[in-house]
Formats: sequence, C-alpha cells, structure tokens
Amino acid sequence: MPIRGLKGGMLKFLSEGDLKAIHIATVEILSEIGVKMEYEPALEIFKDFGAEVDFKNKIVKIGEDLLRKGLSSAPSAFTLHGKTEDTDIKVDPERVYTIGGSSALNVFDLDGNYRPAVFDDLIKLTLLQNKMENLHIMHAIVIPSDIEEYGVDRLLFAGTFPYTSRNYYSQSQTGADGVGEQLKMAAVFQGSEDAVRKNPMFTEVVCMVSPLKHEKVNSEVIIECAKNNIPVYIEVDAMPGGTTPAPIAGCLVEQNANILAGIVLAQLIKPGTSCIYSIASGLMDMTSGGYSGAAPETNLLHCCTAQVAHYYNLPFQGGTGIDAKISDAQAGYERALQVLSNALAGTNFIHLSFGMMEMMMLASYEQVVIDNEIMGATYRMLKGVEVNDSALSVDLLRKTGHGGHFLNYKETAEYVRRNNWIPKITNRDSWSTWQAMGAKSMRELANEEAKRILQENTEPVISKEQTEEILKMAKSYHKQAQERLRKQEGK
Amino acid sequence: MAIEEIKKELYNNVLSGDFELTKELALKAISEGVNPLEAINSYLVPAIELVGEKFGRKEYFLPDLMRSANAMKSALDIFETEIHKSGIERKSQGKIVIGTVKGDIHEIGKSIVAALLSAKGFDVIDVGIDVCSDIFINKVIEKKADILAMSALLPITMPYQAAVIEELKKRGIRDKVKVMVGGAPVTQEHADKIGADGYADNAVDAVKLAESLMKQ
Repeated sequence: MPIRGLKGGMLKFLSEGDLKAIHIATVEILSEIGVKMEYEPALEIFKDFGAEVDFKNKIVKIGEDLLRKGLSSAPSAFTLHGKTEDTDIKVDPERVYTIGGSSALNVFDLDGNYRPAVFDDLIKLTLLQNKMENLHIMHAIVIPSDIEEYGVDRLLFAGTFPYTSRNYYSQSQTGADGVGEQLKMAAVFQGSEDAVRKNPMFTEVVCMVSPLKHEKVNSEVIIECAKNNIPVYIEVDAMPGGTTPAPIAGCLVEQNANILAGIVLAQLIKPGTSCIYSIASGLMDMTSGGYSGAAPETNLLHCCTAQVAHYYNLPFQGGTGIDAKISDAQAGYERALQVLSNALAGTNFIHLSFGMMEMMMLASYEQVVIDNEIMGATYRMLKGVEVNDSALSVDLLRKTGHGGHFLNYKETAEYVRRNNWIPKITNRDSWSTWQAMGAKSMRELANEEAKRILQENTEPVISKEQTEEILKMAKSYHKQAQERLRKQEGK
Repeated sequence: MAIEEIKKELYNNVLSGDFELTKELALKAISEGVNPLEAINSYLVPAIELVGEKFGRKEYFLPDLMRSANAMKSALDIFETEIHKSGIERKSQGKIVIGTVKGDIHEIGKSIVAALLSAKGFDVIDVGIDVCSDIFINKVIEKKADILAMSALLPITMPYQAAVIEELKKRGIRDKVKVMVGGAPVTQEHADKIGADGYADNAVDAVKLAESLMKQ
C-alpha cells in the first residue's frame, strides 16, 4: 500500500483577497517584465507558443493566457515512487511529507567532531535517515569534500540511491547530461530505462536565481525531465531584502513569477509533467547579510508560499535548515517552530527537515534522530482530533458517573493505541528516575540511537552487485564530466 | 546656507544614507567654497566610521550600511574630482579588482564588499559575476591593482579561487598582487590551503583586511 500522508492546510495567514492580489501582481511581472532565460532552446519554445521573446536580452514575457494554458496541464496529484510499494507516496496539495537533508559541507559526527563531510558520511547518513519513520523522500545530505565538485551529482546518486528505500531527490549540476546518466544508473535497479521513465524512483530539482532569472542548466534540466517523465522540483531560493523585495508579499510575487515560468516551460515541453512548486528561501539577516532558514519571518514566508502554490492547485515544497550549530535549545525551538508551522500550513514536502544545521552548512547525525522525534510530535498534532459518537464518549461518561477513572475500558486502550504519539527520546520521567537512569540529555540519547542504528544497518537496500555497478558508472560519468570541464577551460 | 551648516549636512547625509541627495549637496558645498579635502577628512570619513560602528552594534542594518556607503561614494567622487582639478592627488587607499568567480552568479555579498571598500576610499574595479581567470588577471594587470578580491558562494565554485591563484603564478605576477577571498562556504582554512593572502568572514572585516593588506 502506498503512503497517504496526513493533511495540513488549517493554518492560513493570507486571505482569498490577498492571494488574488498576489496573482494579479505576478501576472503583471510575467507579462510586462518577464523572466530572463539563458538557454536559447527555452526561448524558442516560448516563442513557438506565442510568448513575446526578446532574443537579444533573453527575456520571455508570459501573458496570462499562456500562463493559464501552462498551469492547466500541471497535475495536482501524482505518485512519487520508492523502491517498494509501501514507500510510494501519494502527492497532492493537502498531504504533508518530509524530505531529508541536502548538500551540507560539514558533519557533526557521533564522536563529537565538526569536520568536512566525506563519501562515507553520505552513505552512513543515508542509512541513518532511511530508518527514520517520519522521513518520506531522501536527498543527498552532504557534498563530500573528498570528491572533485564538478559532476559530483553522479557520485551523490551512487552514495544515496542504493542505500534508501525512499524516492530519491536528485540534482544535476551539469544540465541535461546529468539527468540522462542518472536515469541509466536508476535503470540498473529498475531493469531498463523505460521502466525508469514509467515509474521513476528519483526526481530532480532546479534552483532558479532571484530576481527573475533562469540559468542555462535550469532550463536544460526542466526540459530533460519533462521529456523523460521525471518529476521536477522547481525551486527558488529567495532572500527577502536581498534578492527579492523585503516585504513578504513582494517576495511571494517574485518567487511566484520565477517558479511559474519554470512550471510553464515544463508543461509546454510535455503537458502533464509532475512539477512541485518549491522554495528554500530564507530571510537575509540584515545584521550580517547571512541566510537564516529558521527566522520566524522565514517560517511566515514558507507558510504563505504554501497558500500561493495551493492557489494554483500545485503541491508545494517548503521548509529549510535551521541556524543552530549544535543540538541545543536553539536547535529544538527553531526546528519545532519551523516544521509545525509548515505542517499546519500544508507544506506538502517539508524539505531539509532532518539533520540540517548552521544555515545549510552542517549535517548532524544526532540532529537527524532529534528531528525525527520533533516530526513525530508534529505529525501527532497534524492528525488532529476525532469528533464522533465514540470519541464524545457520552455512554462511557454515564457508565463511570462521578469520580472513578477510564483506565479499565477497552475503548480507552484502543483510542490510546490509535491516537497517542509515543516518544522515543523525549524524557517524561521525574527528576529522581531520570537521575537513576543516567541523567542523559536528549543529545546523548540521540547519539546512542544513531550509533545503534548504524551498527545494525550497514548494507544497501538493493543488491551489492547493483550498488557496485552504479558506483562504477558514477565514477566513470564523474571522470568524463571532469574531462569535459577541463576541455571547456582549454587546459 | 552657511558653510558650517553645509558641512554638518554632509555629515548627516552620509549618516542617514540619503544618497539620492548627496550629489546636489556636495556640489553646493563646492560652490559655497567648502575645502574638499577638509570635507572628506573632517566630515565624510567620521560619518562613515560611525556608520560602521553602528552596524557593528546592530543599530544599523545592511540596507542602512549600503545606502550610507553609496552616499559616501557619491560625495567622494565629487570632492576628489575637485581636488584633482586643483592639481593635488589625494592618495587612493589602494586599487582593488573584485568579482564573483566563474560558474557562480551570486552578486550581493560581492557588491556589499565593493560598496564598503569604495566608501573607505579604495579605488574599486567591480568585474561582476561569473568571472573567468583571464578577466580577473587582465584587469589586475591593466589597472595595476594592489588587491584581487574573489567571492564564491557555492562549494562547487570555491576551487576556482585556487585556479585563479595558480594562473597568477603561471603568469609570474603572483607577488605583484594581494589576493583576498570570501563567500559563505569559504573559510580561513580554505584561504590558507589555496595560498590566498587573506580571508574575511563579513563585509566590514573584508574592508579591515584590505586596509591591513595595503600596509604589508
């Protein structure tokens, strides 16, 4: 059975009137200012569909009719495939899922060291995250420092895809070629390239530039995904006040114009391409210029963006890393506020919600386990409250009368089992019991749990032969990418 | 307007960052006979220094800093032209070629640093974003720059800072120019590894770094 996630969307900051105003402003931006697209074939496609294209300045102006046409074929519901049927997820604009960490440069390891990530961390952190029951989509959580950067996505694929049962959230740094090579690697497990195209077990993400710019590699990847039926997260990473206007409303308009232009491109290439309206935007900290993923303003922005995406009936990816350096009180409050507000706002994919700290620079083994706990509590709240005759319990109240208790009833036992969340590393003991049990902090418990999981889980979820074959291919693709880069640079 | 009042307004203009009004104010100061060198040293410089302090104390935020830097730059341009006309050369703090490296289109951090450097009286040549080593190096040679400043915001583009340094060595001019590097993923360790002369964690420190590199 596929997973059908809990539904969010009860938290709304914007009125219907606000959303209409954001839409109208977006149409003005798209039709009068347009979006810069560096990739010539993307410009050609828009021209073929009647958009006003300035080839000299590479600007596409998208009128409301073309915008509507593009959006009309973008699906609101689809399936993202895991490696087993019970890891498939049913996506729509209501259900709330999570995505693991991405692209950190450093790790905080289980021996308490802060150090550059290596390839082995990628595998271990993937194995660890794969055991987190509240995680639905796997990303490559680190960029290993022991690999040459250009074309690294091929090796990220080899270090993540074989070690997770979840749908793999991939990326291509080099453009269309990366998508094609990843498709070939997925085919090692899925049997053939056509099998991958039919039920892709990975997706791609493209990150647009704010304000209003699509780089060559962005458009290339969108087009290649559309052609091969690979779902694509079309993402903007805005910094309000820096790369977009400072007001949240103005940021929403920029994000919207930028993302919708990408979604329309995918739809013009192949109507029905699964697109996820995505952001990893974060407040620009005006005391430093830095990125803050955990600022309350960032949470507000993400909640509001969920509403904007849902206005177009599109699934939405929001959420981002937190700013704390270590799993302390700051980490706890930042993560809790972030995932709770996003879940309640109906963010369909709460992205980077496991282990990501220090403004996306750091992946912490301990925080992966803690975040799973916070997500568990959040899901319990999302589940909400049953109200029906059985839950209203009038007959039980009558039976019990005045005084007494409800612990003897079968109904109590069943309700508790069905509804209550049982924490794993949250302590609810008295001081004396807690002392007697070693007075361990949540961080210590998370550390022990992570060590236990990694001791018990060392093998990929696909066969060793397939894992090795994929790694071999990845190394070869990476080498070829490096050679192409050197040739480009004329060395 | 009395001369004293104009000087005070110049000071306040840099402090408030109303750079849209600076040019007019500076021209007026000149027509009223304000000594340009005195205006710079006694009014503009103290004002921009106070702005820096306020930023450090989190009383001023980045937009305030940028706007004040713009005001400072506008006023400096006008007063320095005037000084130049009178045949005196006001010594530049130093010449800096600055840009974001090839493959990287992140602009803001680099532009903040460029604005603050200009405000401090550096002669800043901003070569933009996605800049290849040839452009960096040719500009350094052409302008006889004292410092080359490179920004990289992506882990994938950080190695290009090293590539440019290698190219400087190949062309035999590594010792002719100081190299400073910055950007979110960049660290002192990276700077040391690639043989840069300095690294700064933020824009204000980048200016201090540039000043100290000029003294070396």
